[in-house]
Amino acid sequence: MNAPGSPVSATPAPPARSMVASWKFWAAIGALVGLVALFTFGFTKDPKIVPSPLVGKSAPPFEVGRINGPGRISLADLKGTPVILNFWASWCVACRDEAALLQAAYVKYDQGQHKVRVIGIAIQDTPDRALAFAQHFGKTYFLGLDDAQGDISLNYGLYGVPETFFINGEGWIHCKQIGPLTEQRIDEEVAKLQSAAKGERCGS
Amino acid sequence: MRVLNVSRRNGIRRLACALLALGFALWMAALPAAALTPEEVEQRVMTITDGLRCPTCQAISVKDSEASFSTEIRDKVRRMVEEGQTDDQIKAYFVTRYGEWILRAPPKRGLGLVVWALPGVAVAGAGGAIAWSILRGRRGRAARSEAAAGAASSALTTEQRERIQADLKRYEEED
Repeated sequence: MNAPGSPVSATPAPPARSMVASWKFWAAIGALVGLVALFTFGFTKDPKIVPSPLVGKSAPPFEVGRINGPGRISLADLKGTPVILNFWASWCVACRDEAALLQAAYVKYDQGQHKVRVIGIAIQDTPDRALAFAQHFGKTYFLGLDDAQGDISLNYGLYGVPETFFINGEGWIHCKQIGPLTEQRIDEEVAKLQSAAKGERCGS
Repeated sequence: MRVLNVSRRNGIRRLACALLALGFALWMAALPAAALTPEEVEQRVMTITDGLRCPTCQAISVKDSEASFSTEIRDKVRRMVEEGQTDDQIKAYFVTRYGEWILRAPPKRGLGLVVWALPGVAVAGAGGAIAWSILRGRRGRAARSEAAAGAASSALTTEQRERIQADLKRYEEED
């Protein structure tokens, strides 16, 4: 069977418009690039680092008994002195390295002269386990324990450990550190605590 | 009394009843709220905690989360409900301490407004685009059928006829 010859002649078809020349093509490409850029930016942000609304405001009151010794302490008692309020737990792995740094800060600023008070509050913990941790990692400063309802944790808007609040002498929260402290961070923020400046995240 | 005719007396009676009812209602409202039953408490706790984000997990609600902070928040909410606090007061407590992000529903302000409005706008936009393309199609079809009708009414030109004949003949020969 012979193939048909030239096809039925008709008016020649209009030349196909190049896809690349169409504005719709470029609009779609632009939208795609924009979307990818947006996602890339979004994924670089850590959703756990959320600024605390308590920064710059009066620190919520607390009152707690000491687990590594006698006595009680409340925020009101500490008025007039800057406070490093550290929340920790015996089951918190990141708190282990931090323990030595806080102890060093206690020796440097708190012990004796009480230039800055270092207070640790264990959360979701038991006195025995908290004490065992403290003894093992050498924490001798004032350690308290939050109650079973987590009243102090919730009052401070805690959502993990360790979290540390730097409170100035007037009782305002200067900044909040989410995650373990470093020696540099402690020294920086203690220096700032002496001034009236209010930070946001510690280090900012 | 002759001064008050029957209808006036009835009117006064009705007014007195209305005032009494209003007074009673105001007195009831002033009474402290009756204690909620345990079921009512749990219901409210579920509703409120469903609207709060688990601070540790962040992607699920406090109601659904097993995390220790969520358990503490649930218990705290229950205590606040039993104390008689309103949903707004309870939510405000957490927003003050955690920030707006603790609420699962985005705030109806600023960027949050965009999030609320976007689905409706998108559906309306899509609906509009579909409607427009249908209408354009209809108009296009109407135009095309007119053109076709026009074409059919005009006879083939001689040149076209000759070309058709030539093509047909060529096909018949090739077969």
